[in-house]
Amino acid sequence: MPTFEFPYLGFQIAPSDPFPKGQAAFRPMAVAELTASTGKRLRCLVCTDSGADSCVFPSSFASVLGLDILTMKKHLTAGVGSSANATASCDLHIDLGRGIQFTAYAGFTPGLDSTGFGHLGQAGFFDRYNVSFFQAPAQIHN
Amino acid sequence: MATPAIHYSSLLKDLHAGAWVAISEKTMSVIAYSAEIQTVVERSRQQGETDPLIVRVPELAGTLFL
Repeated sequence: MPTFEFPYLGFQIAPSDPFPKGQAAFRPMAVAELTASTGKRLRCLVCTDSGADSCVFPSSFASVLGLDILTMKKHLTAGVGSSANATASCDLHIDLGRGIQFTAYAGFTPGLDSTGFGHLGQAGFFDRYNVSFFQAPAQIHN
Repeated sequence: MATPAIHYSSLLKDLHAGAWVAISEKTMSVIAYSAEIQTVVERSRQQGETDPLIVRVPELAGTLFL
């Protein structure tokens, strides 16, 4: 089984009432190249998200990839603060670089359009790779 | 090691929240930005960048993502 690392990417979160000094959120992110059955490609950021049931991406990516969401199979998905998101799915080739590439049955949902990055979840990613999380070095060195 | 996602915050800090952005990974610079993702992709191609990294300026920059 291949071994690889996802460096944590730090995001500064603005101060709020419970966190007056703000917060730093560290997320295990990588650059991925997506290729659809149309042959069209898109490079984007992805977060390795063990809490996601499957691999999902912003619905805006579908049009760039030449996919017609209206003709794709759909089901409803939910996340924190949102539910009943219509998610259209199809096979998608995902290349993380350095030989790490796979095809997953991935979804496209408007629920992720506000963030603009994808999530690599349990079905399609974590069921193929052993992934260890070790955030502490990112906090020390970033 | 997988392709690293370096810290892009400095490239995005002066752009409008919610904008789609095309970044050249070769020059580490913003090629195009727009409210529409297709516009960003088309403008990148017009400038000779066929494989830009597409990101979005967070609409909720002050929100912890869960």
